[in-house]
Amino acid sequence: MKKTDIDWPKITKIVQDYNSDPECLLMIMQDISDIYNYVPPEVIPVLVEKLGVSESLIYSVATFYKTISLEPRGKYIINVCTGTACHVRGAEKITHALAEELGIEEGQTTADGMFTLDAVRCVGACASGPVAMVNHDTHGALNRSSALEMLDQYRK
Amino acid sequence: MRNVTLAVNGKTVRCSAGTSLLDVCTAQGIDIPTLCHHPQLKPFGACRLCIVEDAKSGRIFASCVTPVAQDMEIQTHSERVVRHRRNIIRLIMAEHPESCLVCSKGNHCDLRKIAAQLGVGQTGLYPMHNYQGIEQANPFIIRDLTKCILCGKCIRADHELVAAGAIDYNHRGFDARPSTLFEQPLEKSECTFCGTCVSLCPTGALTMKNVRYVGAPQKEHESVCGFCAAGCAVSLGVTDGQVVEVTPSPRTDTVNGVTLCVRGHFAHDFLKSEHRLTSPMVKKDGEWTEISWTEALEILSQKLLSVKKEHGPRTIGFMGSSKCTNEENYLFQKIARSLLETNNIDNGGHLFGLPLAAQLDKRLGGRFRARPLKGLEQAEAIFVIGANPGNSVPVAGYHIKRAAQNGTPLIVADPLPTDLNRFAGLRLAVAPGRDLDMVNAISALLLEKKAYDASYTAENTTGFSFFRTGLSSISFERASKTTGLKLDRLEQAAEMIAGKKIAFVIGQGVLQQPKGQETLDAVVNLALITGSLENGASGIYILHRENNQLGALDMGCAPDGLPGRSSLSDEKARKTWASAWGSKMSPDPGLSLVQMIREADKGNLKALYIMGENPARSLPDPGFVKAALEKVDFLAVQDILMTETAQLADMILPGAVFAEKAGSFTNMEGRVQSFDPALPLPGAARPDWEILAMLAQKLGMDARYSEVRDIQKEIARLIPSYGEQYLASPVSWVKDAIQEDQPMAFTTPVCWDGEKPPAGFDFTAITGSVRLHLGSGTRTAQSSRIIAWDGRASIEMSPTDAASLGIEEGDAVRVVSQTGSMIGTAKLVFGFPEGLLRTPAGVAGHSLAGLLDISRTPGAVYSGCKSFPVNVEKSNET
Ligand code: SF4
Ligand code: SF4
Ligand code: SF4
Ligand code: FES
Ligand code: FES
Repeated sequence: MKKTDIDWPKITKIVQDYNSDPECLLMIMQDISDIYNYVPPEVIPVLVEKLGVSESLIYSVATFYKTISLEPRGKYIINVCTGTACHVRGAEKITHALAEELGIEEGQTTADGMFTLDAVRCVGACASGPVAMVNHDTHGALNRSSALEMLDQYRK
Repeated sequence: MRNVTLAVNGKTVRCSAGTSLLDVCTAQGIDIPTLCHHPQLKPFGACRLCIVEDAKSGRIFASCVTPVAQDMEIQTHSERVVRHRRNIIRLIMAEHPESCLVCSKGNHCDLRKIAAQLGVGQTGLYPMHNYQGIEQANPFIIRDLTKCILCGKCIRADHELVAAGAIDYNHRGFDARPSTLFEQPLEKSECTFCGTCVSLCPTGALTMKNVRYVGAPQKEHESVCGFCAAGCAVSLGVTDGQVVEVTPSPRTDTVNGVTLCVRGHFAHDFLKSEHRLTSPMVKKDGEWTEISWTEALEILSQKLLSVKKEHGPRTIGFMGSSKCTNEENYLFQKIARSLLETNNIDNGGHLFGLPLAAQLDKRLGGRFRARPLKGLEQAEAIFVIGANPGNSVPVAGYHIKRAAQNGTPLIVADPLPTDLNRFAGLRLAVAPGRDLDMVNAISALLLEKKAYDASYTAENTTGFSFFRTGLSSISFERASKTTGLKLDRLEQAAEMIAGKKIAFVIGQGVLQQPKGQETLDAVVNLALITGSLENGASGIYILHRENNQLGALDMGCAPDGLPGRSSLSDEKARKTWASAWGSKMSPDPGLSLVQMIREADKGNLKALYIMGENPARSLPDPGFVKAALEKVDFLAVQDILMTETAQLADMILPGAVFAEKAGSFTNMEGRVQSFDPALPLPGAARPDWEILAMLAQKLGMDARYSEVRDIQKEIARLIPSYGEQYLASPVSWVKDAIQEDQPMAFTTPVCWDGEKPPAGFDFTAITGSVRLHLGSGTRTAQSSRIIAWDGRASIEMSPTDAASLGIEEGDAVRVVSQTGSMIGTAKLVFGFPEGLLRTPAGVAGHSLAGLLDISRTPGAVYSGCKSFPVNVEKSNET
């Protein structure tokens, strides 16, 4: 992303909504993520300036929380649960199927910027495993074919 | 505070509630192993080695983060506690590579020490290392994070002590490491290479680069950093007669605590420079010829006496040194005044605002001489004007940043962005050289709003009504225009400091500008109306440059100042000193450093004795200065290196660096610190005081000095502000010399219309200190680490200006002034104001001195060289 592609007034507004409070760094980064699906590194100097935090803290927060990424991610982020319950019910197969279909590996984003494939440890829906989340939606009781159908829902 | 009673290993102990178990146990002399705890950092509780057991509840606590509770029965070394400690160490070791044999932390390593104490050898666990590449491209620090045990000391030091914010944890759990943004090497981060993290790291994860020896030095010597006026207490690690590492002193009552800056930590390798002068020499037919000390002193004394006899005392000049000790400067000026009867004495501090500091002392009537920097952390507000302490006096910068991090309102007034910006509640990008109008306007606003300390001004000052009348006519509109600051910014500033006791931090941005004196006066006025001086925590902090600048002033190494900061024009003081020395004392005002050069140019200076200064490099217009020095009939230079000035001399006297001699330095706080020699002298070099003592004897001085102590005794006896305490203790403070008949007076506010810039120059260059060098960089340029790092001088500019001139980041650019030009590398800085450039001072081989014109400082005092008109263009040179 180029500096000029960023909606600076919107970024400023987000920061203002949190009173430029450095304690709200995580929330601010999440809100920015909601717009771009990631936190564009170009905004880091601006956050440093406006919040008075250090660059390294921003990186620390970004790498600690799985919901935040500093690299572009797809419009849809697929998080396949690999927690214990889902694992024994074949989460690995789901990951394989999705990876094969999308032509990417775990942690990568499709060239068209539609999907990012990721893994999480337990989303708290063990009873309906194997589970995958696509952005904020939960899909349960997946098998190979329903996982691929799930993709189609978002491809439209 | 409430008290708590508990038992520690069966002994009843009383202490105040809130104390940590670790502190209580330590106070009892019990040794508890710790890896993540440090008394100067906030408790953290990461390593769990400090566990103790409460026999009553059976619970185990990490003692560093657990406060005492009533009736606890603490066991520090029970079988259970020790077993757990062993297991913790085993787990840490299982993750740690087996590299002790080749690790440069060697005997310093806490992990190894504690493992040995606990009797842990082979862990018997499956090794699980988190392999990371070794990072060592920079010349200062090696990071081998495979050895990291995640104690977090480096991160906390970086945040809490030096407030750089270069590193923080990345990722989580096993993967976590202290990391910069995007895991870039340190040199691409905010890291200042202060080395504080290296000092605190308990393992070999962080070590110093380019140390000659692995492991602990043979000896540690307490000393004082040889660079800036912070006067950090250091420990010189010496092996085989060489300083192999410099670390913060283990003493706790120091200005720097466990911090240092890149110069103190890493640039002292200049001490082993191969260019040291090792024998007295004279120039014979343009060739240097070594001579003996006896011959040298004979020639030197004969020359000085014959010039005095033939041309009179006023044709002899003495340049003392802001880097030499108090004792040396004292003796130097005593020789000049009492034996050669000249007052032509100055020191390099002249270039860095020392005359203004002397004026400030007069105006305050000898009050408030001791200004501990730790006071900044207790001030109610901090106002930094024209200072970039992160580069110039880094340890002062740490104090300011820590205060701001803890909530002290901070105002930063500077035309250019500095690393304080991130901490500032308000930034005032004042136009270069216009601080005077800014300060006056803020005072006027406070008066207008009646937000000043009326009772303080009434009781402690004179001339307030004149001052108020003077300010009442100030036009805010004009001030806003000249300063380039919108009125609401000025109002905001006034609001931020109203009703508060303010600490003012004044840097070269004020001291070196044409109206430096007036601006400093305006700051004093503002300090008086806010009653900021009285409170020990607030007041005016002058960021002196060289480490013994203030000491040189105290010792009378100034043309109009006698020792103890008394005036040459004060007849009583003159008489006192004349009778103390049993000599005559000329009342003729002496020449300042720049005046000596000017007189030399006119052929009026016949002999010049320079000790530890390098005017051919530090003054503007090197061509002019060198030509002037060539005209002096007899030029003697006493120095440690073959400097640009020494090359022009008729005689060279090899002196010693601080680490090779005894003496004392007075830092910017007014803290006087004595030290002893740690190193042998190179060749025939002698401590400077010894050279002076020999010369004094030759010239017929009655007093004899066979050791530094003899000079110190004389200083203690004759200079009351040093006095007995200075003799009795290695650390003392300059005492006030309050003249009760001189209350603090307001000065009448003055306005200044500014200078009209010459036509054809579109930019204003502002000279700025750089972190890696000090002053003109004579010594730092001899540090192999600094040289390894230093590229071309970077010229900072706004991306907008650069774009319009077709300049890109990293391009070679030429900066042209009325007198000369310099080449640098363009550095485009986000948020940098248009029309301004920052040109660095001191960078090796890229001196900006040629850009300046010595005639810009026509008076006795060097000033007006902070900012000047230039043009900038892309250059084809590489
Ligand atoms: S690098 Fe050293 S100081 Fe930093 S966390 Fe690791 S072991 Fe601790
Ligand atoms: S050297 Fe100083 S600035 Fe750099 S990471 Fe270490 S503590 Fe921070
Ligand atoms: S702040 Fe000054 S005195 Fe302290 S280590 Fe750095 S250069 Fe030396
Ligand atoms: S393990 Fe997948 S939802 Fe809990
Ligand atoms: S020293 Fe207490 S937890 Fe590390």
